[in-house]
Amino acid sequence: MLLEQIINGITLGSIYAIVALGFTLVFGVLGIINMAHGEIFMIGAFIGVLITSVLGLPLWIAFIAAIGVTVILGYMLERIALRPLRGKQGVSHLAPLISTIGVSILLENLSHHIFGAGNHPFRHSFAQIQFQIGSITVYLVQILIFVISITLMVVLSYWLSKTKAGKALRATAENLETASLLGVNTKRTITTTVILASALGGIAGILVGMAFNSVNPQMGLSMGLKGLAIIILGGMGNVKGAMAGGLLLGLAETMIVAYGDSGYRDAVAFITIIFILLLRPQGIFGKNTAEAGR
Amino acid sequence: MVLELKNITKNFGGISALTDVSFQINEGEIFGLIGPNGAGKTTLFNVITNMFSPTSGEISFLGEKISGLKPHKITDKGICRTFQNIRLFSQMSVLENVLVGGHCRSKSGVIKSVLRTKSQRKEETNSHDVALELLELVGLSKFQDSIAENLAYGQQRRLEIARALASNPKLLLLDEPAAGMNETETESLFDLIKKVQKRGVTVLLIEHDMPFVMKLCDRITVLNFGKKLAEGTPAEIQNNQEVIEAYLGAEEDDEIA
Amino acid sequence: MLGDIINPYHLQIVSFILINIILGISIYITLSSGQLSLGNAGFMGIGAYTSALLTINFDLPIFLGIILGAVVAGVFGILIGIPALRLSGVYLAIATLGFGEVIRVIFVNWDSITQGSIGLSGIPHLGRELFKTFKLTGFDPDMLGLKNNQFIYLLVVLILLLVNILLVWFFIRQNKSRVGRAFAAIKMDEKAAESMGINITYYKVLSFTQGAILAGFAGALYAHVMAYISPADFAYHRAIDILIFSIFGGSELIWGAIFGATFMTILPEALRFISDYRYMIYGVILIAMMAFRPQGIIDVSLLKWFKRKLKLKRRGSLGIGTKKYN
Repeated sequence: MLLEQIINGITLGSIYAIVALGFTLVFGVLGIINMAHGEIFMIGAFIGVLITSVLGLPLWIAFIAAIGVTVILGYMLERIALRPLRGKQGVSHLAPLISTIGVSILLENLSHHIFGAGNHPFRHSFAQIQFQIGSITVYLVQILIFVISITLMVVLSYWLSKTKAGKALRATAENLETASLLGVNTKRTITTTVILASALGGIAGILVGMAFNSVNPQMGLSMGLKGLAIIILGGMGNVKGAMAGGLLLGLAETMIVAYGDSGYRDAVAFITIIFILLLRPQGIFGKNTAEAGR
Repeated sequence: MVLELKNITKNFGGISALTDVSFQINEGEIFGLIGPNGAGKTTLFNVITNMFSPTSGEISFLGEKISGLKPHKITDKGICRTFQNIRLFSQMSVLENVLVGGHCRSKSGVIKSVLRTKSQRKEETNSHDVALELLELVGLSKFQDSIAENLAYGQQRRLEIARALASNPKLLLLDEPAAGMNETETESLFDLIKKVQKRGVTVLLIEHDMPFVMKLCDRITVLNFGKKLAEGTPAEIQNNQEVIEAYLGAEEDDEIA
Repeated sequence: MLGDIINPYHLQIVSFILINIILGISIYITLSSGQLSLGNAGFMGIGAYTSALLTINFDLPIFLGIILGAVVAGVFGILIGIPALRLSGVYLAIATLGFGEVIRVIFVNWDSITQGSIGLSGIPHLGRELFKTFKLTGFDPDMLGLKNNQFIYLLVVLILLLVNILLVWFFIRQNKSRVGRAFAAIKMDEKAAESMGINITYYKVLSFTQGAILAGFAGALYAHVMAYISPADFAYHRAIDILIFSIFGGSELIWGAIFGATFMTILPEALRFISDYRYMIYGVILIAMMAFRPQGIIDVSLLKWFKRKLKLKRRGSLGIGTKKYN
């Protein structure tokens, strides 16, 4: 029983980690919170519903379509909501936050109008395939989600530390001006970052659809809030922190549902936020500097 | 003795910005702090005002230990500064900028301000009088209603000085007040700082304009790579072999950069 | 005659406008020290539930319930504000957003007291309760040519109007004082403000708490004007509504929040077809405002231009104006 819950928690947590990675990449490079990230994730999930349940096409096409659509959304987000504010004189640091909130409610209500408010089932061929290992039941979907998430994290870590584009991204995150002086095309790097983060959101959307078999327009908001909780937990802009924080939140939520009051599942994330802010504002994995968060 | 620095060291990560810096400033002095770029001069200002806390060492102001106090408390004690890269409240009027400078010399809170009690009104009139007098001093009286960011560069520097003086400091820290000024502006800045000194304010200033510093300061400390290289009267500093070498080296670097 | 003009439906809208103005001021006052709060819907909910529960369960007089609602919201404001405000503005935005959601989840789940997502009904109505008091003194609305219903809604509007005037007066005076200058200084340059001797933590917590108190106050008024509340009234969308008031109307001046709240309350009522697409339009407004007019519709220079115009007109009507105005 406990082992099953842990497996559930890790499955959920690895999806959270993918969502949080999208937040943390954008925060690391641009220093802004992308409030539209949750809604991009939700759009990814709906693309999955369209491809698999409505058109009856295989899952891998859903992944490609979701990535395609969220990449376009990411590009548009950068061009319409972020780039116009950059480098403009006298623009408050709150401006990008507010403008991405605008994108988020636009996307949420757009999908509300297109798809309706209710839950949409996410059908795929192997939803019911399960294994019995001793007394524990493991679903194939869970294994698949876990494998995809881990693969993504490994590839991303490799890309960030070893490739030229990844190094450019880290340099830009460290210091935009210096990176630009050193010949990094920061404009392109920023666009790449936002697109990459959006694609991660789109993939996470499909994974959630697979895991819960249900998709609705409101899920973007609650997932977005959880992603924020995780990056505060793991330290803003910290890639490893986002992964660990995601797993931790997934486990905590599963345990609350299993052994506590399921109604408070969604509150775990925010109570975490408030406690972290009180006790360790730089996050669990953040460096202990006086300038943290300044 | 107004300010005393004892063995101040400041490290950022593994890099040492200041190493074992000590000096004393006497009342009424104009004290210069010079040194090549990156010598740690502005860092020292930030340590004195506790924007950064020192890694080790102690700072006393008028015989009282001030290291560890919050920056706003230090202003309250009587140390106020200007910034190298001008940090005015750019959207406020010139007069309002100076009024903000007087913040810690007034007390009215929310209730008194809303009810406009007698003491609050008296305080406001008083703050206005002080502000207008200071604008007169720095020669910005006729610009009192202009928006700060619309002032010319040299005027902005003078406004920063007026704003700092509004907190009625005993020690004024000026971070490169003459930077970017032409000859006439520098000359009137010279007169202004002298006038400030006459008001009983001790001045500690960072400046790169050597003739200006040598003419203005009573004593000078030279920093190089975060360490104190020399201290003395302008004449002593000008003849100090180490200082000359440090500067010749640095000036060559400057030309390359 | 008065009875022919007064339409309870219109009065209801006016009272929504007046409550929304208080909400608009609540976010304006927090923004005036450069902080963004996304939790004002949560504070509004705390005020509403506190006052509703106290008046329903303990028969507390409405006005006392409303004050306590505002106070409790303020206490939560301090508790959330102090830790979050030590950090940058972004942390405050997230913390307040999370706080708002926690509050909503608690309202939904604590059904023994809050009735869960069904909500609380039978909350004493501000107008009706006052009307009862009036009746005791022997007053009859017929004397003014009004029906009971009309009189009740009129009472609500008059009280809210009085409250609004008081609040605007309060914050305009505060703005023109040492406190207002400290807020503005922190908004423009936190480090410089600190160097000028301003205790930035104190003033940030002060402005944030004032915002929380106002939101709680507006929430309590809302509960006693609607007589029914549910957790959905205080969800994230409400926070967006409140944000729009100030961002669209203008975040530099109190008049911006007032204009924004008024305009954004009338718009969906006047143009019914818009109300379906309301939040989509809000989204576009937020994006467009940030890109083209981040200070909002009403800013300092617009106000100055308006004042100049007004002065010229007045002079014109006195006959001193130039030829253009004759």
